[in-house]
This record gives sequence, structure tokens and C-alpha cells, in this order.
Amino acid sequence: MHPVLTIFLKEIRDGRRDRRAVMSALIFPIMGPGLVYMMMTAMIQMRSQAFETTIPVTGMEHAPALVQWLREHNVRLEAFSGDARAAVRNKKQKLVLIIPDDYQKRYGKTQTAVLELVHDGSRTDSQAVVSRIRSLIRRYSSQIAGLRLILRGVSPEVMQVVDIQDIDIASRQQRAATALNFIPMYIMLAAFVSGMGLAVDASAGERERKSLEPLLINPVDRLFIVIGKWLAASVFSSVGMILTALLCITAMLHVPLEELGLTFSITPLQVALIIAGTFPLAFLATSMQLLVGIFAKSFKDAQSYLGLLMLVPVVPAMLTLLYPVAAKTWMFAVPILGQQLLLVDVIGAKAIPAAAYFLSAASCLLAGFALVVITARLFGRESIVTS
Amino acid sequence: MIEVESLKKSFDDVVAVSDVSFAAQNGRVTGLLGPNGAGKSTTLRILYGLLQPDAGSAHIDGIDVHKNPQQAQHHLGVLPDNHGLYGRLTAREHIHYFGRLQGVAADDLETRTNQLIERLDMKSIADRRAEGFSQGERMKVCLARALVHNPPNLILDEPTNGLDVMTTRTVRDLIAELRGENVTVLFSSHMMYEVSKLCDHIVIISEGIVVANGTTDEIRAAAGEENLEDAFVKLVEKVIA
Repeated sequence: MHPVLTIFLKEIRDGRRDRRAVMSALIFPIMGPGLVYMMMTAMIQMRSQAFETTIPVTGMEHAPALVQWLREHNVRLEAFSGDARAAVRNKKQKLVLIIPDDYQKRYGKTQTAVLELVHDGSRTDSQAVVSRIRSLIRRYSSQIAGLRLILRGVSPEVMQVVDIQDIDIASRQQRAATALNFIPMYIMLAAFVSGMGLAVDASAGERERKSLEPLLINPVDRLFIVIGKWLAASVFSSVGMILTALLCITAMLHVPLEELGLTFSITPLQVALIIAGTFPLAFLATSMQLLVGIFAKSFKDAQSYLGLLMLVPVVPAMLTLLYPVAAKTWMFAVPILGQQLLLVDVIGAKAIPAAAYFLSAASCLLAGFALVVITARLFGRESIVTS
Repeated sequence: MIEVESLKKSFDDVVAVSDVSFAAQNGRVTGLLGPNGAGKSTTLRILYGLLQPDAGSAHIDGIDVHKNPQQAQHHLGVLPDNHGLYGRLTAREHIHYFGRLQGVAADDLETRTNQLIERLDMKSIADRRAEGFSQGERMKVCLARALVHNPPNLILDEPTNGLDVMTTRTVRDLIAELRGENVTVLFSSHMMYEVSKLCDHIVIISEGIVVANGTTDEIRAAAGEENLEDAFVKLVEKVIA
């Protein structure tokens, strides 16, 4: 049996029995998509609630025309009396619309009538309905204003100096991809989380339990030792990552995104491409963790450094979010950034050149291997062995 | 056969070993005796290829450890200073792991493992995970994994440190048996009784140099003391002063 295989099998066996390693490989993939699913569904529900919520109104009798108009636009209204501010503050009502006593008088004199919309800006669940009412009332206002101008023989267009017509060239699928930007980031984070337990145990753990010295006494090339550990950690990392990808996709297929005007559909080919595109990242993530781990003297020590390492996959995701650029071929050759771009494009159903897959995989695997070689050098360092 | 010539090794500014030479012969037990910090572990680590000496050389069965470390390691069984186990592996899995790393063929590995389990009286712990092992049980696993490839040379760094009477006896019996099998045994200790009882040959080091080298009688004669312990103290103090 080749020593790489011996080490690999031992680490896999050890890792499977390590509750800490298994947990870190599984909890993240399972919990994340579940949470995201719940959050997205709640968000969508809030939006649809904006259309269902009955609006409490004080002084409905002062503005029958407005009330009538709102009802025609499918807003349910009910009379409200009492202290509107207190009712909102006590969370009895999400909002209260107050029509003042002088509404009719000011309306008649063509003065601006001021309506009060009482709401709590710190409550996220009322924002959607508040903005719906606000925009409806603005529409009503400009409609009446237009009529007033026509009565005076003026075209309502004088009020509208410029207008904007939106021409959004993004497909619904692409818009969905932007909204779902967190998925690539999440999948990439999974690569870093899932293999971490094993990688740390195989590096810092060896030092902590003082098993590194006996291991290195065996006539085995240190590079083989590190490669075996690297491959084992990468298996954990890839499994966690693929699981995360599949669960994220499943969750998204079940979120009623149509209600946001977005479409999310995915073909088995796309799923295969996502997995093929991202799994090389597992090898880079674990090689980084092994390198950091060998510097650390204990598990705890390693974990505090590795917390920082978790920022690595987040950076390109943030960058592409803040500075969206058209992906150029060279960008795929940058490890981590390449995977990020690849994922966004696959999910957005954009065509990707085959070279991009090759470049991103090759760069990740090469960088990973380079770190493994460095780790192997350090593994034999006298100061690491004897401390 | 283990040969060490004029070894020298320092860490930063601290000289750990300044001049150590000795030879351990086949079928004999050689004891490396010295107070704490005398350079015993450093000398042994150079011998099993973990540290590079600054000067001097070490040979295992004629193989230069620093030119062919892996070949030398094939000829060596080692119980190092740090001898941690993997808590989630069983005793048997430990022996298998190290056997495979030493390149023991699959058929032999099974037989060897069973022999060692028998010999070290580990049947009851063979298939239990190491996390709950007592000090003595851990030591047995370490010895078994050091011997799995049937090495002609055995290096033990303080093998009886912290062991109970029963396990200490097992270790001593094992050392005596291995001598009978013509194995070169080299072990370090700071316990006089153990060394005088077990060793055919004693090397006393202090402050990184060899202060005496020979049989028990020769060492007593050199120091002009009847008792080995007195001889040891006298020889060591001579260096420190």
C-alpha cells in the first residue's frame, strides 16, 4: 500500500470517528440552506402581506373620494379610533392612516392636505405595506393634480419635465442570480468549514497529542504524509460543499420566488457544472488549513487563526457584489475569485467558456499543491517536531 | 548496531550535545544514562533522523542516518520522547498503521500484530479505542507499533518513565527477550537501578559530553566508587564543576 493511501485511509477513519470533524462537516451544509429558506420565505410572505393587510384609518369620513379610490385599488380599509401612536407603539397595529378634519376644507381650496401615516420604522414586517400605501397615495395625488391642471386648461405634462422608462436587459433568471448571490458565497464558505475539523486535527492535533514525532520516525517522505492528510481533509470538504450546493438549490426551488418577479430554475447539467466548478476549492481550502494548523500548537490555537481564514472566500463574493464587472478569462485563473464568478454565471445560466473551468480548477489545485509542499517542508522542521 | 561519532548539536545559543561518541552492539543492551537536560533525548533524536547534527555522524547497521534517513529508519524501532496515540483508533489499528508506514507486507502485518498483542499481553485492549488507556496500556501500544516491522535495532527514550510496577516489568522482560533475539537495544534513563540491572553497557552523558563509557564494573572502577549511583554522581559532578 502506498504511504499516501495509508495516511489517507487512517485520517478518513479517524475523521469519521471524530464528532467535532463530522459535525463541522455536516452542520453548516444542513443549517445554512434551512435558515436561508426560512428567511426568504418570510420575506416573500411579508411582501404578499402588504396586499392583504387591512389598513386602519382615522377620519375616513373626511375623504370619501380617496377612500373609494383606495378600495378600488384593492386596499382593505377599516375605521380606527383612539390613539394611533400608542396603538403602533404597542404593536397592536402595524400602521395607522390619519385623515385630518380639515382635509375637505383644504382640498376644496386646492391647498395641500396633509395625511399622517403612523408607523414604526424599526419594524421590518410593516415596511412593505407602508411603502405600498405611500406610493398609492402619491399616485392618487398626482392623478388629482393632473385633473386640476386639465380643468385650468393646462396639460398635466407641464408637471412632468422628464420621465424614465426602465429597460432591464437582465433576464428574470439573471436578476434571480443577483438576488441569490449569497448561494455561491455560501457554497464557498462550506468548502472552508467542512474540512476544517479534519485538517486541524491532522496538523495542530498531531502536535497537541504529541503524535507527530512517532509519525515522522517512519521511513515515509514527508510530502506523502501531508498529501495523504490533504486528500482526506479535501474529501470531507468536498462532501460538505456538494451537500451545501445541493441543499441550497433544493431550498431555492421551494421558495416562491415568482412572487418577487424572479425565476429560479436549474437543470441537472447546471448542478453538475456547479459541483465540477467548485470542488477544486476544497483542495485549496484544506491546504490553507493544514498550513495554518501546523503553525498552531493546539486545536484552540489553530481555531483562532482559522476564524480569520474564513474571511477569504467572503472577500471575492463581496467584491463582485460591490464592483460587478464582466468576467474576463484571466479572472478565472485567480483562485476563489474564479469559483465565485463561475458559480454566479452558472446559476445565472450564462454561457461559460470551457477554458474557465479548466483555468479555475487548475489554479486552485496548483495553489493548493504549492501550499502542501510548503507544509511538508515545515512538517519536518526541528522546532515543530520537538516542541 | 548503532554507532555515534562526535555528535554536536545546538539550538540557537544553547549547546545540547557537544561531543558524544559511543557504539551499541548487537545482542546487547546499552543504557544512555544522564541527568535531566544532559542531552539524552537530543542524541536519540539525531539517531532516529529527526534532528540534523551540526557535526559528527550516526550510523545504524552501517547506514549513515543523515545521508539515507529512510533506509536507516527501516532498521530502527523507536519509542520517542513524545509518544502520543490517536485517541479514536484502537490498539490494533495503531499497530497496523505503523506497520503499513514501515512497509510491512499485508500478510506479515496480521501475523506480526497478533504476535505483539500476545507478547505484550494486550489482548483485552487490542480492539478498544486508545482514548481511555492507562499509562501502561499506552506504553504497550507504543512499544508494539515500534516493533511491528521487526527492527534489528531498538531505541527507547525513557521507556519506564511514569509506569506502574507491572508494566515496568513487562518492558524489562521485553528488553531482555529482545537481547536474546540479537536485537541492539539502546535506551535512555535517569534511573540507576534500572540501568545497572538491565544494561550490558553504560554510556553516561552530562552537559552534552560522554563522561564514562563501559560495563558497570568498568564505570565503578573509573570513578573509584563501589556503588554505581555514587560513581554516577561523582562522574557527573566532575563535569559540571
